[in-house]
Amino acid sequence: MKSFFYFRLAMQNIRNNRKTYVPYILTVIGTILMYYSFHCMADNPGIRNLRGGLVVAMIMNFGTSVIALFAVIFLFYTNSFLMKQRKKEFALYNILGMEKRHLGRILLWETVMVAGMGIAAGFGGGILLAKLMYLFLLRLMDFPVQLGFYISWDALKSAVILFGAIFFLTWLNALFQLHLVSPAQLLQQQRAGEKEPKTKALMAILGVVCLGAGYYISITTKSPITAITLFFAAVILVIIGTYLLFTAGSIAWLKFLRGRKKYYYQTRHFISVSGMLYRMKQNAVGLANICILSTMVLVMLSTTVALYAGSENMIHSRYPRELLVYSNRVTEEQAEAYEEAVNGYLEEKGLSAQEAFGYREMYGTMVREENRLRGPVGAVAILASVEAHFARIDDFRRMADEELPQTLEADQVYLLYRGNNIPGDVLEIAGLDFRIAGRMTFEEAGVDPAVLTDSYNVAEVYVILTADGSVLEQIAAAVDQEIGVEGSIFDCDPAQDQLRYVYGFDLGDEEQAKEVQDQLYVLLAETGITQGGVENRFDNEASYYEMNGGLLFLGIFLALLFLMATVLIMYYKQISEGYDDRERYQIMQKVGLSRREVRTAIRSQVLNVFYLPLAVAVIHVAFAFPIIVRLIALFNLNDVGLFFLTTVVTVLVFAGLYAAVYAMTAKIYYRIVSN
Amino acid sequence: MAILEVSHLKKIYTTRLGGAKIQALKDVSFSVEPGEYVAIMGESGSGKTTLLNILAALDKPTAGEVLLEGRSVVALKEKEISVFRRDKLGFVFQEFNLLDNFSVQDNIFLPLVLAGKTYDEMVKRITPLAHRLGISDILNKYPYEISGGQKQRAAAARALITAPRLLLADEPTGALDSRASEELLSLFSEINRDGQTILMVTHSVAAASHAGRVLFIRDGQVFHQLYRASLGREEMYQRIADTLTTIATGSERRQA
Repeated sequence: MKSFFYFRLAMQNIRNNRKTYVPYILTVIGTILMYYSFHCMADNPGIRNLRGGLVVAMIMNFGTSVIALFAVIFLFYTNSFLMKQRKKEFALYNILGMEKRHLGRILLWETVMVAGMGIAAGFGGGILLAKLMYLFLLRLMDFPVQLGFYISWDALKSAVILFGAIFFLTWLNALFQLHLVSPAQLLQQQRAGEKEPKTKALMAILGVVCLGAGYYISITTKSPITAITLFFAAVILVIIGTYLLFTAGSIAWLKFLRGRKKYYYQTRHFISVSGMLYRMKQNAVGLANICILSTMVLVMLSTTVALYAGSENMIHSRYPRELLVYSNRVTEEQAEAYEEAVNGYLEEKGLSAQEAFGYREMYGTMVREENRLRGPVGAVAILASVEAHFARIDDFRRMADEELPQTLEADQVYLLYRGNNIPGDVLEIAGLDFRIAGRMTFEEAGVDPAVLTDSYNVAEVYVILTADGSVLEQIAAAVDQEIGVEGSIFDCDPAQDQLRYVYGFDLGDEEQAKEVQDQLYVLLAETGITQGGVENRFDNEASYYEMNGGLLFLGIFLALLFLMATVLIMYYKQISEGYDDRERYQIMQKVGLSRREVRTAIRSQVLNVFYLPLAVAVIHVAFAFPIIVRLIALFNLNDVGLFFLTTVVTVLVFAGLYAAVYAMTAKIYYRIVSN
Repeated sequence: MAILEVSHLKKIYTTRLGGAKIQALKDVSFSVEPGEYVAIMGESGSGKTTLLNILAALDKPTAGEVLLEGRSVVALKEKEISVFRRDKLGFVFQEFNLLDNFSVQDNIFLPLVLAGKTYDEMVKRITPLAHRLGISDILNKYPYEISGGQKQRAAAARALITAPRLLLADEPTGALDSRASEELLSLFSEINRDGQTILMVTHSVAAASHAGRVLFIRDGQVFHQLYRASLGREEMYQRIADTLTTIATGSERRQA
């Protein structure tokens, strides 16, 4: 009977506070729904059994952990907001004779109800969403649709445990809050404005330093492998910098506006600037939150969309031709004989090699310092590596559309490159000096970089063309000596004219490719080439769609989650400030503020406040652009134009959504304030 | 010509569900001449606040007319009301109603900002006013940093800075201690001597004894009025107290 009383009170409380409780419950449901769906996807045997399904399951598992982390932070945040709004109500109960332990019991019931609703609705919706996600994923990855629902009890169990723990923690936190304050304190309205933080100069400097460092990393990091390690450091620096700068910066900016009498003493600015200064810290943190979440949404969506849209491009750069032959020790005669044999075979079958190319080279990753190339040593080598290809200029002449020099001196090299040009006229290779006879970019030479570069995708690629094989021999020996490795890092033997050999062509027919692939192996052996392999693009194409489809999928759903968080923070910010400001607006209306002026004042405030985080988020994205270009290069995506396009489109779509949310919350704010 | 003319004012509140009707004002008529200092007295629930709200165009009467300088307040359109309020009227409230997000100076500037005055003009107006009200030193402080008396003087400054035709005061001493009350009331008397028309609603006899005329409201109508004429403060106080006693005992007798 007694507990029924608390239960009823708790029900009533939820109903009475529905303006703040409904969005909270929706958040709870949304988060549980997301968590369950992702977990369920990770468990789904239908996915695990797909080709490439393990990759997707791994991505989903990762997504599940991200959502779990997010859920803890976000539900805690929204709940503490809720409690802050209700302090007065609790004080009243307390004064009416309810002890804090009774209040605790009511709160417990409330928590249990919200948790029950959240888990029930989240589970129900999650089953549906998981199915939808599954279908969507199959479609993204080009698989046939499967029917029937899959319910993961494991996922449900872990959702109940995780969210049970979160709710228990929010309840403890609420109890703790209750114990901290006396009813008198609870009832008394906080009237004094927030004080300026004392350390604001330090905050500003630190903020600029953090943000600058983050931006600097993004702009200057050239190697994709370095980019991986530094990306998260940059993200954390930018997040810290954003909080610090929003706090220090927004306060300084508002005070500057207040100081400009002509600007400040105009109705709309007067009200909005003073209102923002009144709760400057709360304002700044809210804005920084919105800014960071927006940046996350933008980065995640633009990157994964670009990856998915760039799948073709990636496949091409990894597999420049449908059929590719690699071997490490091939002489000039063998190469010629092999190509002849292949063409003969194709002719027999009534086929022909299209877009064929073939070249011989020495190849390895090296470290570049200005105009010196050194052999790779230790960990530093990985971070600063460039791709170096060495070849005889005679071998390479047929690769280029542009005319290459007919002869070179023994101490001369000719350069083809992507990325940075080597400065000066002299190139030092492992202690040997060469004069640079001339240079061209791949584009200028008319060489498709895809046929040259390997899958490391470092930013700088050099093809160094020499007079003849003896020069290659010298270089190989010098590099080996420098790093102290017997038998050449290049894994070939220029003394015997045995070089790395790459040969590729298109057929335009998947069926035939399989058959020809087998014959390519046979012909290798017949030509006397003992080691090497053949790659068929058709065999590997699908895995790209699996990977990128999975990532796009993750990107879309995490972006949705963060978007939900952004919208909620905006909503709560407007509501809480609306209740705070209501009395002020009423007083101002008594003094002679018209309803229309109320509206313009709100618009001015919200315009200032809401578009600032969006603008900063766009700046963040712009500065993140270079490092993300390097990162997606690791996935073999080198199409900067495509990524730029997806980024711009994502920003525009997001800005549209953002404006809609703004309009909605501004309306709610107006309604609260003017009622 | 009277600055304010109130004739046959009637206000009936209907509860939200449309059931019970509550009559707040039955039939109120009076007028205020320029330069007058009028106090309106009455018990809680006598309709004082309703009357003040109607005068300030914060509420509409069920019937009757209010003319300020010959112009109908009742017929004002929604758009004109705010302008009317900030140009013609000044308000002093019991709870001061200062805004915590503004400094004292900015609080006083508020009506001028709303009226679109330039900063120079605002400064020109505030300097003598602040000096006169004795708040020059606290202009840069915030409302939560100053005392109740100072708050009410700041509120008075905000009401007076637009040079309103009529100063409306709603229980201005209600939240003040006796010393601060006395200070504020002599300030009002001073301002009135300089020609400011004041209409004050109060149930404090001390406050009303400063006025030139006292109207007594009971059960939604003007029950009685007292003119100061040449009476001193003490005598006026006595008269008001006597009148209130008469009203009270009268009502008891009627009930009996």
